[in-house]
Amino acid sequence: MKKYIGKRVLTSLFTLLVILLVLFILMQLMPGSPFNDEKLNADQKAALYAKYGLDQPIVVQFFKYVGNMLKGDLGVSYNISKNTPISQLIQTRLPISIKIGGFAVSIGAVVGLLLGLVAALKHDTIWDSLATVISVIGVSVPSYVFALALSYTFGFKLGWFPMLFSQQDIFGSSVLPSISLSMFTMASIARFTRSEMLEVLGSDYMLLAESKGISGAALIFRHALRNALIPIITVLAPLIVDLMTGSLVVEKIFSIPGVGSLLVNAIQSNDYNVVISLSFIYSAMYIIIMLVVDILYGIIDPRIRLAKKGD
Amino acid sequence: MKRTKAFVAIGMASVMAFSLVGCGSSADTASTTTSTESATTGAETTAEASAEASATSSSDMNIMLETPVESLDPQQATDGTSFEVIADYTDGLMQMDADGQAIPAIAESYDLSEDGMTYTFHLREDANWSNGTPVTAADFVFAWQRAVDPEVASEYSYMLSDIGQIKNAAEIIAGEKDKSELGVTAVDEKTLQVELNVPVSYFLSLMYFPTFYPVNEEFFNSCGDTFATSPETVLANGAFVLDSYEPAATAFHLTKNADYYDADKVQLAGLNYQVIQDSQQALMSYQTGALDTTLVNGEQVDQVKDDPEFQAIGAGYLWYVTPNIAGVEELANLNIRMALTMAINRESITEDVLKDGSTPTYTAVPPQFAAGPDGSDFSKDQTAFADVCAFDADKAVEYWNAGLAELGITELTLDMVVDADDAPQKVAQVLKEQWETTLPGLTITLTIEPKKQRVQDLQDGNFELGLTRWGPDYADPMTYLGMWITNNSNNYGFWSNADYDAMIDECTTGALCTDAEGRWAKMFEAEKIVMDEAVIFPLYTQCNAEMMSSKVTGVEFHPCALNRVYKNAVKVD
Repeated sequence: MKKYIGKRVLTSLFTLLVILLVLFILMQLMPGSPFNDEKLNADQKAALYAKYGLDQPIVVQFFKYVGNMLKGDLGVSYNISKNTPISQLIQTRLPISIKIGGFAVSIGAVVGLLLGLVAALKHDTIWDSLATVISVIGVSVPSYVFALALSYTFGFKLGWFPMLFSQQDIFGSSVLPSISLSMFTMASIARFTRSEMLEVLGSDYMLLAESKGISGAALIFRHALRNALIPIITVLAPLIVDLMTGSLVVEKIFSIPGVGSLLVNAIQSNDYNVVISLSFIYSAMYIIIMLVVDILYGIIDPRIRLAKKGD
Repeated sequence: MKRTKAFVAIGMASVMAFSLVGCGSSADTASTTTSTESATTGAETTAEASAEASATSSSDMNIMLETPVESLDPQQATDGTSFEVIADYTDGLMQMDADGQAIPAIAESYDLSEDGMTYTFHLREDANWSNGTPVTAADFVFAWQRAVDPEVASEYSYMLSDIGQIKNAAEIIAGEKDKSELGVTAVDEKTLQVELNVPVSYFLSLMYFPTFYPVNEEFFNSCGDTFATSPETVLANGAFVLDSYEPAATAFHLTKNADYYDADKVQLAGLNYQVIQDSQQALMSYQTGALDTTLVNGEQVDQVKDDPEFQAIGAGYLWYVTPNIAGVEELANLNIRMALTMAINRESITEDVLKDGSTPTYTAVPPQFAAGPDGSDFSKDQTAFADVCAFDADKAVEYWNAGLAELGITELTLDMVVDADDAPQKVAQVLKEQWETTLPGLTITLTIEPKKQRVQDLQDGNFELGLTRWGPDYADPMTYLGMWITNNSNNYGFWSNADYDAMIDECTTGALCTDAEGRWAKMFEAEKIVMDEAVIFPLYTQCNAEMMSSKVTGVEFHPCALNRVYKNAVKVD
């Protein structure tokens, strides 16, 4: 197991380095530069390029950048927040994004699981259909549509929750964005739980368990749900990543001072360092999530762990 | 035992959310975890503190911003939002009155030498920074030297050199002289002397432009690299004091500056800024009363245009089409250019498409930002060049056919580069339709690209037609006319006319510098050349559609330098 984890961690680190390289090349291919303002003439642009070292060969820039990054220096923003170190920008923003993302995944996973369970257990009833309808809507409607609809209904019309993020009421003002973000997760989890549960419930070993006299909660939770969980965890991981991308727009709608809204602004204004740093952080999070999922697999399903040992 | 295990498994999916996200964060910010926490709590405390402060007085004004502040460093900031906020808490030598005229601020008086090339400003005795130190002439010297310092690479350095004509500014920017040689000296603590290369008639109006705002050297040095990134790293000498802010903040707050020399006149308890990038959210917030003012986009205008709180505020930007005169053979033909500009129905663009109060413009210098020696608007008469640009389908076709004949062609395809933003795309669609309908044989294709790329393509001459805009930097027609001299980086069409260059020279550095009326007349002549030769096709002057609560009065709007000034605003509850 340890050897397996070690190998996976090394692969992840290598992947991150490749990502950094790709991001760097993509930035060079991005149209325009951070300093294409009507008000700038050629001399001024040259001065700015020199100031930020953008006039040097790309190879030099890249190694400098990676070197600085290893030292924990992500560089400074060129235009969305001029000359501010990116680490400073991220410092206060990442916790907010994670908080809201965390709420969203939790709501999505718990509600989705329950919805899926109800649908499977009450198979072919009105409850099942209802759960299916909710899932279809959740999967097909983008999160920003929910965001606007929720904001209109519960923020504007009913006035239950704030329409915009506020530092004074972080919890209250996170409700609407979290729910908007959780819809897709919830719907996907519900669909998966339902189909996995139905498959498991119809299997021979469930029949055996039932015939041995195990009933009620024990039957459902210990025997059925546990087996159904593995594929669900598999889908949950990419869902968390979807959530991060979804949060880009949702953060913008609710004026959340998170990394998502920062990335959107940075991309629009060609703020290279901010785009690279944030994309890199997103990639790192993705890779770490995948790593954790793989490790969790081993814990939940001994067959995977044992198979590795057998190698 | 088994039961517990099962429950662990059940809880896994839901708990995973926390653990996974937790992992992601701890790995990425491992080194900064503790500081992150303290920073967040810090931000919360200041936010709470400001909320408490604002709770004691109900007359905070709640203002919506479309974009976050880019920089609070007066010598680095370039955008209107940053300028507005910097000016909330900083006074320059001069300030704007409601009409945009320069009136005394930190300088209580000034003397101008007889040759018009040396200004001596006398600073107020009672002007202090928010840390108690007096605002001195040295603060201006330090700030202005920063503005031209090649190491600082200020984007607005040309305000001191080309526009302000301050002695040695251009040489310092070019790296030929040391910044200490800049023509600005602190004669004593409260006397500032500025030497110019030539007399500059609008020089005083530059003094309220944030690039010219003072910075206290000692304080600047004490901040290290963090200058102007938090309330602790900025000093105020103006009407308000910044009390909560972080870089690229989506919400921040300023409180009235009790120690401001003009504090008696400031009626608002504070300014509460909220960045909202989604227009629906902004309007709804306004309607619930959370905002006192907000921008409204073109689609929302229909919904609110009958509301008495709706208003269209001149934003100063002139939108125009620039033909690539030097690079495209067909566009070098004057008849073709005349046909194109006369085939544009500008009224239809503003009335049917934009609907935000923008006004059709028939002059190369837009109206309502530059007043002449007699106080009248330079471009008040919008019919002056109507014969060479107003919509006239028949005349347009005449020019068109003449042009085609000269070129020996029967049809023509032209491409226009357009910003990927909402309004420009709509305008471009209408232009295409108007041109193709009026001018037989013309096909227009549109290249829609991000603004940064569009600007680069124009500057590189890599275009045929370009839809672009220009906002005035200072209250003088030269902010526009100066663009079309040979080799100016904003003369995208590479148009060149020796007579025109000579006229502009005469007005900026030549004999007319000291003759206000003569200069004004000459600039009008120069504008006529631009229009007669169809160097650009002016379209409209942009307005911002805004909602302004009836509780608020006295907000001053300006098309250049500072778009909104709140110093004299009043809010009744």
